[in-house]
Amino acid sequence: MAAVIEFQNFQKRFGSKQVHRDVSFTVHEGECLGLLGGSGCGKSVILRSLIGLEKPDGGRILVEGQDVGTMSESELVEIRKKVAYVFQNGALFDSMTVFENLAYPLRAHTNLSEEEIRARIHAQLAEFDLEGNDHVMPANLSGGMQKRVGLARSIILQPKIVLYDEPTAGLDPYNTLRIQEMILRLKTRGVTSIFVTHDMPSAFAVCDRIALLRNGRIEAIGTREEFESQGPDNPLSRFVRGEEP
Amino acid sequence: MIRNASTALGGRILSFAHALGGAVLLFRQFLRELFARPLLLNLVGEQVYFVGVRSMGLVFITAVSTGMVMALQFGLGLEKFGGKLYVPKIVALSIVREMGPVFCSLMLAARVGAGIASEIGSMVVTQQIDAMRALGTSPIKRIVVPRILACLIALPLLCVLGNAIGILGSIAIEVWELGLDPIFCFEKAVTTITLRDYLTGLLKTVFFAFFISVTACYFGLNVKGGTQGVGSATTMAVVVSSVLILVGDFFLTKAFFVLFG
Repeated sequence: MAAVIEFQNFQKRFGSKQVHRDVSFTVHEGECLGLLGGSGCGKSVILRSLIGLEKPDGGRILVEGQDVGTMSESELVEIRKKVAYVFQNGALFDSMTVFENLAYPLRAHTNLSEEEIRARIHAQLAEFDLEGNDHVMPANLSGGMQKRVGLARSIILQPKIVLYDEPTAGLDPYNTLRIQEMILRLKTRGVTSIFVTHDMPSAFAVCDRIALLRNGRIEAIGTREEFESQGPDNPLSRFVRGEEP
Repeated sequence: MIRNASTALGGRILSFAHALGGAVLLFRQFLRELFARPLLLNLVGEQVYFVGVRSMGLVFITAVSTGMVMALQFGLGLEKFGGKLYVPKIVALSIVREMGPVFCSLMLAARVGAGIASEIGSMVVTQQIDAMRALGTSPIKRIVVPRILACLIALPLLCVLGNAIGILGSIAIEVWELGLDPIFCFEKAVTTITLRDYLTGLLKTVFFAFFISVTACYFGLNVKGGTQGVGSATTMAVVVSSVLILVGDFFLTKAFFVLFG
């Protein structure tokens, strides 16, 4: 399978703090890579850098062969149309209704008529079990619903790549399951994704491979089976048990 | 101690230079995005309503009270020297040249500047600005451009309104308190003010509109540290734009005298 996302010796520093020293990994077409690591180790920064919200201090980030790190803001627009970012808290526009939130990317990037936009949004809301919430303001939605609307908005342009930033954090089992189902459904459509999480059951449910980020590097990467074949003291099991590396 | 003081001073100078550079870069981005398609005139219209229409009450109260106080102060002062008849002229000229533009702008810096900085700051904190960028759209185009344009459109219009209300307020005091004839007061006010006086006053508001909107957008977009950061950014936006208006007013007045005589 072709590599869709490649991190090559990626480095990132904030002030005097070197967050990423040498991060290298590849995500293949249609694959979902789980990215695990302790709080503050820079998992979200990797996702943000992938769509140009942060600039790397060293190394390269390739999306379908294009180096995102060197692109200007206007060049990044094309990348951002095919790479969706699902924010941890949904990041919904709080001055707009659910309908307007979903219409926002469609109006910005497509030539669809208002009738077509309406039809597409209603179909999307139905798929996310959110029918009847078109005119609700984000503040009046539950946390789980906000995350689902955020996910619905992110993928309404039918991106090739989706970046999930802790989409199940703080959710009840019902909403967690709905999010997992949606991610699995997107996988069946060939969407490539990176799934940043601390939620191990969700990671095991949706990810093909798991990467462990520690001390600014990818400490280990592989399938769950590959980790388990290394015995009970494999890095993934130690991480799950909360043990020091 | 001297070393600490010089370090603190150096830090302040650096942060001032950083803010100034950031505001200039933001202004450059505004110019770049201004005529880029789509023009998003509906967003400009919304902001003109928020900046202009929603500020009319505040401008009305400020202008009428300023006009009344000035007429009272000048009236009581000049009455002792038999100069009561000059009050309509002096007050009208002061309002049109200085008080109208400056007070309208200060009120807008407080109301609109604070509103813009806190709104954008909250959007930064809740990652809405990041979401806009992640969705392949420009926050400068959708957030900054409409707000700057709205201030540029609304502030001169509010100043026109403020000037008229201020002069009417001053005439009311000149009639009730100083016993002058209303027709005389109105005639003196109208004949004293030249088109140049009026236009230089309005031209100042164009500069002040830039000061308010660019400062507020800059501090809003550069919020750091959560809700506390939003509060600090809002305070800074109001303080910096107010200082810019007051200091800028002196230099603009001087420049207009040099340019237009």
